[in-house]
Amino acid sequence: MSIEYNPFLPRPAIVNAVRDESLETKTLKISLINWRANFLPGQFVQLLLPGVGEAPFCIASSPSDSKHIELTIMRRGLVTNAAHYMRPGDAVGIRGPFGRPFPVENFKGRDLVLVATGIGIAALRSLILYTIENRKDFGDITLLYGARFVEDLVYRDELRGWAEKINVIVTLSKPSEKWNGLKGRVTDHLGAINLGKGSLAVICGSPAVMVSVAQSLIGKGLDRRDVYLSMERHMKCGIGKCARCMIPGGFLVCKDGPVFSAGEISLEEVGE
Amino acid sequence: MGLIQELRKRGFEVVGPSSEGGVVKLVPLEDETKLETDYVRTLNSPKDFLLPDKERLFRYKSTATITSYGLKIRFPTVEGPCPITIVPEYSPPRGKLAFFGIHPCMVNSIRYLDKVMLSDPADPYYKARREGLFIAVLECAEGDEYCFCKSVGGDKVPKGYADLSIRKEGDGFVVKARSQIGCGLLMEESTEEVEEISPKMKEEYLIDAKDEETIETKDPAPLLEGCTLCSSCTVVCPTCYCSDIQDRFSLMDPSNVERVRVRMSCQRRSYSSIAGGVIFLKTKNDRFKWRMKHKFPFSEKMYGMPGCVGCGNCIAFCPSRIDFRTFLGRRVA
Repeated sequence: MSIEYNPFLPRPAIVNAVRDESLETKTLKISLINWRANFLPGQFVQLLLPGVGEAPFCIASSPSDSKHIELTIMRRGLVTNAAHYMRPGDAVGIRGPFGRPFPVENFKGRDLVLVATGIGIAALRSLILYTIENRKDFGDITLLYGARFVEDLVYRDELRGWAEKINVIVTLSKPSEKWNGLKGRVTDHLGAINLGKGSLAVICGSPAVMVSVAQSLIGKGLDRRDVYLSMERHMKCGIGKCARCMIPGGFLVCKDGPVFSAGEISLEEVGE
Repeated sequence: MGLIQELRKRGFEVVGPSSEGGVVKLVPLEDETKLETDYVRTLNSPKDFLLPDKERLFRYKSTATITSYGLKIRFPTVEGPCPITIVPEYSPPRGKLAFFGIHPCMVNSIRYLDKVMLSDPADPYYKARREGLFIAVLECAEGDEYCFCKSVGGDKVPKGYADLSIRKEGDGFVVKARSQIGCGLLMEESTEEVEEISPKMKEEYLIDAKDEETIETKDPAPLLEGCTLCSSCTVVCPTCYCSDIQDRFSLMDPSNVERVRVRMSCQRRSYSSIAGGVIFLKTKNDRFKWRMKHKFPFSEKMYGMPGCVGCGNCIAFCPSRIDFRTFLGRRVA
């Protein structure tokens, strides 16, 4: 029996660097051994930790570097906990990239509103880096980022650098007394964002937050098709064979997504 | 039957129905196995051979060791080439597969699995097992009270899905060739046009479930009173293909890890859980509706055919005989 191409086989990679991001998150920089990952912002990979298992993560690095990928991982389950014990030089396996990316070509020339909560910003980092690298191609870019407290903010050091190129608004829902920035949830600060003609929004966060943010942006006059969500499901195979990532409407998050526009899916049903 | 021996001589692993301890099951037919031809339903389905319950995708070495205080996983560290040695092991059946004496509904279930597994990108493991598949259909004259293949179009053998057609007539059988391989087996010149008989149903139903909304708005709670979430319906279903991928190792030898694909059921809590403990299908009502949606509107949309072939296994083997036919449609005869 011969199999020319097997999408279930991981390809070799090693951990190049590990960076602490916040209390619960670390970013692994992974070097791909003798292969390149040609991806666009919004796509995901399956990370195999030998002896532990596999889990899907959105690529958090810029697509301009196809020899390395960065994954920002929050400690939650079996694989993510093990990922926090990784050190530079550890061997891992990577499958992918999989999924439909953000339609970045259609984004060109338009104003972008990026809304992220918690670890959701990891799925948007690739897009943020891509837009900063190609800053001329886009109009105004605003990032609205919500977290619980300062220690919870991911990419704390990078946010300042980003703020020089794009508008960055950070809001904390449970800040300490020392915090003198914005307080409250992201939905409280949507009003501060100018939504012009030709604006489009990209949202990533917990399912309930994504739905409420999308609904209020649509309420402010954005077209449903201009609101993009990066959906989260536990994809197992990545190629549409296990049906674990199916969402209402009969879409597979791994093949048809993870990026969907609000015009394609029913917002009421995809929430919790 | 001499045909089975002939098939085995040609290198096929022949699978057919056989009566075993009161139930009819599809089993690999050996010389002494008695073929059962007088049956309505089988406990298992072609799915169990084309897409096994547990299937090894590949094996690899990890550096896990057992210490006196438990399992310790030390990640392999790379100096030079990557040490994860992944040895893919494909486990093809002994020969090419042949299904002998399965009913048209089961043939339709193979068609559905083909649509799912061979759509781009094709599943390499399924494709390898599927190659050169031989199907001898045993026509079905009468169903039992759980059958409803006519309501979902599962009573007709799809084109190109039969090599032989077997019909019971009196005490004997009439075998007709429907493909080139079938002709060769019967030593006939050309294929014959077979006028298919349609099985007689004890009860007839009209099932209309193309629309997701109609399923969502109905309340399955009274129907599901007896549901124990045993997920038997998804196990015996010939088209339920949802799976889970796991890394497994023995505690005796934790360094040899195998990655396996195992069957998963949407009736289980872990089916829809994501990181952080969010579960999308919380109650049994949600999960039942999800099964219905996957079978009808989602499958129609994605693969152009319903994911239900009307075999009635999910009703017949349900401990509470939960009958979804009246939930989705109504009885017409």
